[in-house]
Amino acid sequence: MANVAIAAEAPVRPKHYGSISRDRRWALRWSYFFLVLFAVFFLMPPLYMLLTSLKTSQEISAAANPWWVSNPTLENYAALLTKNDFLVFFRNSALVSICVVTVTMLISVTAAFALARMKFWGSATLATGVFLTYLIPDTLLFIPLFKMFAWVRDATGIELMNHWWTMIILYPTLSVPFATWIMIGYFASIPKELDEAALIDGASWFQTLTKIFIPVAMPGIIAAMIFSFTVSWAQFLYPLAFTTSASELLLPVGIVTTLIKGDVFNWGQIMTGALLGAAPPLIIYAFLMDYYVAGLTAGATKG
Amino acid sequence: MADVAAPSSMSLSGDRRSSLHKLMQRKSTIAFLMALPLILLIFVLVAYPAGYAIYLSTLNKSMTKFVGFGNFEFLFKRATFWDIVFQSCLFAITAVIFKALIGFMVAHFVHNIPSKGQRKWRGMLLVPWVIPPAMSTLAWLWLFDPSYSAFNWIFHQFGLGSISWLGETNWARFSVILVNIWAGAPFFMIMYLAALKSVPEQLYEAASIDGATWWQRIWYVTLPMMRNIIAITALFSTIVTFANFDIVRVLTAGGPLTSTHLFATWAFKIGIESGDIPLGATVSLFMVPILAVGAAFILRDISKRGSES
Amino acid sequence: MGSRKVSRRRFVASTTALSAVAIAAPFVRGAYAAGKLSVGFWDHWVPNANGATEKLIKEWGEKEKVDVQIDFITSQGNKLLLTTAAEAQAKSGHDILAQNTFLPARNAELLVPMNDVMDQLIKDNGKVNATVEYLGKVGGKWLGVPATVGSQIKGPCSRIDLLKKHAGIDIQAMYPAGAEPKADAWTLDAFLKAAEACHKGGNPFGIGLGTTSDNVDTIGAIFHAFGAVMVDAKGDIVIKNDQVRQALDFYKKLMAFLPADVAAWDDASNNKFLVSGQASMIMNPPSAWAVAKRDAPQVAEQCWTHGFPSGPKGRYAPFLPFFWCTWNFSKNQSAAKSLMLYLSQASSAEKMVVASGGYDLPSFEKLTTFKVWAEEGPPKGTLYHYPNPYNHQTLSVAAAPAPHKIAEQIYNQGIQTQMAVRYFKGEPLEKTLDWASGELEGFMRN
Repeated sequence: MANVAIAAEAPVRPKHYGSISRDRRWALRWSYFFLVLFAVFFLMPPLYMLLTSLKTSQEISAAANPWWVSNPTLENYAALLTKNDFLVFFRNSALVSICVVTVTMLISVTAAFALARMKFWGSATLATGVFLTYLIPDTLLFIPLFKMFAWVRDATGIELMNHWWTMIILYPTLSVPFATWIMIGYFASIPKELDEAALIDGASWFQTLTKIFIPVAMPGIIAAMIFSFTVSWAQFLYPLAFTTSASELLLPVGIVTTLIKGDVFNWGQIMTGALLGAAPPLIIYAFLMDYYVAGLTAGATKG
Repeated sequence: MADVAAPSSMSLSGDRRSSLHKLMQRKSTIAFLMALPLILLIFVLVAYPAGYAIYLSTLNKSMTKFVGFGNFEFLFKRATFWDIVFQSCLFAITAVIFKALIGFMVAHFVHNIPSKGQRKWRGMLLVPWVIPPAMSTLAWLWLFDPSYSAFNWIFHQFGLGSISWLGETNWARFSVILVNIWAGAPFFMIMYLAALKSVPEQLYEAASIDGATWWQRIWYVTLPMMRNIIAITALFSTIVTFANFDIVRVLTAGGPLTSTHLFATWAFKIGIESGDIPLGATVSLFMVPILAVGAAFILRDISKRGSES
Repeated sequence: MGSRKVSRRRFVASTTALSAVAIAAPFVRGAYAAGKLSVGFWDHWVPNANGATEKLIKEWGEKEKVDVQIDFITSQGNKLLLTTAAEAQAKSGHDILAQNTFLPARNAELLVPMNDVMDQLIKDNGKVNATVEYLGKVGGKWLGVPATVGSQIKGPCSRIDLLKKHAGIDIQAMYPAGAEPKADAWTLDAFLKAAEACHKGGNPFGIGLGTTSDNVDTIGAIFHAFGAVMVDAKGDIVIKNDQVRQALDFYKKLMAFLPADVAAWDDASNNKFLVSGQASMIMNPPSAWAVAKRDAPQVAEQCWTHGFPSGPKGRYAPFLPFFWCTWNFSKNQSAAKSLMLYLSQASSAEKMVVASGGYDLPSFEKLTTFKVWAEEGPPKGTLYHYPNPYNHQTLSVAAAPAPHKIAEQIYNQGIQTQMAVRYFKGEPLEKTLDWASGELEGFMRN
């Protein structure tokens, strides 16, 4: 925690703000003060995850200072990263996320274009109806889905239970509505003259979308992609309900169900797994956050 | 088919297009086809199972007999059910208000500092939202642990007593809400930050020239400009918070007694753990009408977006 | 049906030859077509215990030419329960699935009767306790085979030193290793006094009152010790009786000596309380002790697992059995039965018990005297009394003898612990009983 505070203090030192009024400087100081405060609040649990992941199980069990690691060890990391199961979870999660992002974008970009630009009978209702899907919680849906899977099996012989790829079918219900909504907003912000001109030049609707709209809307698309990725990486209930075998689990469920056994929690490894599980989205955000903010700015604030 | 295919390359000139082709070329048909995957997705994987859940809610416990609204009548008579309604509302409303407040404040502070440092701060403050909630809630569970609580350890250093974070009704509710705020506030921050950036700088300058105070600038310039995004983010978050499952499930499993159960966790308890699936479905369904009120607002907001575009 | 009869006769003929193959063969015949079997077992927390089960299954699979896919499913967060519900609803899943306590009864209509297997096993291994029979046999039909893996008695696990220091009780003298218990003085009154003394001494008993199974099992046994019945075997609500009042009064007194947050404890809380060195007693199978052995050896050396205190109506201990069950939509039922027989033989059971460090507890009478319980330590003999070798306590399950569909809800919603907490927090006793009887009425739905 200490180094968070220090890092935060550093930029406070005045640089070239001679022209800024006293007023403004105080506002700046207060801003940093509160930012440090909130950063402590926001970063404490991940920091504690990190600390715990570096401890041996003996040290965790000893009721010593929990905020200090006296015998740092990487054995939890070594144990997880050499365990085949964990790598399988990781692979499954990565594959599911990539496929879900692709599927989400294919569905939501085309649909958003149709809804924002082309209009058809019922398109306005659909544009609002899409958002309403969030009103129906996944806790309500998973039992009916069990039944539907049984029918699918009886009708086609395809078994949907206990397969990681089933999630590629289910997750888009969670990611597509928001992604479509962002894209509708983004497309709506693009001047009408652009597509009119394209159409007059003889471009088809599809060409207008791929050659003009998608390039222009790239920040919005990236924002929607990041959102879909976050959703599919983090989803918990569906994989918990639909997958069981160790070879079919996704990362969050895998960590929770294989590292907690009966009434015994293996805290060091759980925290390590949680941290490793959080790493991919963290890395993606670190690199693509500017796009994310830009995309949201354009997509979400229009209208 | 061949003569249909040939003119399509010079679509604007030919008069003898088949009616099918004409239909395919019509704007609204293309639009409908483009939206078709979305429609199918929603109907097959959301609307249909939701309808099936409604059907389930009209069955008796062993799912052999149609009882109509029997399950609803049964629930209305149970004190525990009304506790759950109250707790869910308390949880969702408190959490969303604080998420919005904290999100707004943090966004404002980040917006205030020189843009060079903003990236770093934004990144740090977004961390809770990025960690999968199932994982981060485990960290909180460990922080709250009755025997090993790292928070209580700090309190002990200052000579204060232990707090049973998850053991006492009010503290347990506080803790559950706190974790939800922690996980959700960054989303508000990022949305508000996006909105703040879109407020034209000239408006603030004009306000300063008029001698507006810091508070007046927020009240008369920032907030009106952000009205839409605040509403949409808050409503989106209300829906998600109301249906929350993971946090309560991991932290308290609804305890002590049933004082932290929400609709989703209680439905799970009844439907899956106690084997009364139709009643569980009925409890889950209850979220929908309550949320529909929120949906009405979204509807209005979104249709406004539609008409302005 | 004809072939089934033949196999039955062959059983009788081969009872003396206990070789697994001889027993298993009749079931497997005709199962070659599928040649595949998937099993979902309870995920054992003891590191090598899953391995022992896996090895036994592989052995069987090689002998019988059956390709077995094994999943170990954790009970934490009700994953195993959710899997059971999912498979029951989707009508697809493992050929053998471990289902605990009330689940076989819930799924009774979907499960293959195991009477043939059970007849054979009872003949070989001795009879099963009444709790297993109540949970596993409905309407004369065995719904599953009581599993060795995961079945457990949740008896008290006490700190020898702390009980001596605070309460003056020598628990090793009461429950001597290798000999019959001399526990006549170990009554609920003595237990309450000890709880008070240990609380005063700063090491309270760690008995949870949340709604998870550890907590419910404990209060269930104490209710039985008072003879407190909430719903009788006919399904009538009889909660307003003096035995229930006595049991609640007892709990009210006891709770004053427990840690403040016990109302929110889950199955892991008591373990942590023991391992952290704060508890003088918890109610748990030896998992907590075993974790202490790894992480806090100085605590483990002082642990002693023993029997429950006796109450006015007897001495009861909670038993949580797992059953191996087969769905009626399973495609390889005969192979499943064959595997269950193989795993339930004395030699297989002993291997599993040893691998689990004495945690797993077979339900059959003749399988409760393996050497491992006498030998595990430190301290040596700490598990001697864990399997209830002298039958001096009656094994029980909370909410029995109510009909299963009602008992299950009492158990899973922790009605008894909720009553205790309400009453302790100051609600008048009659109001608590009113609340509970309202809940019970709600459980009468069918």
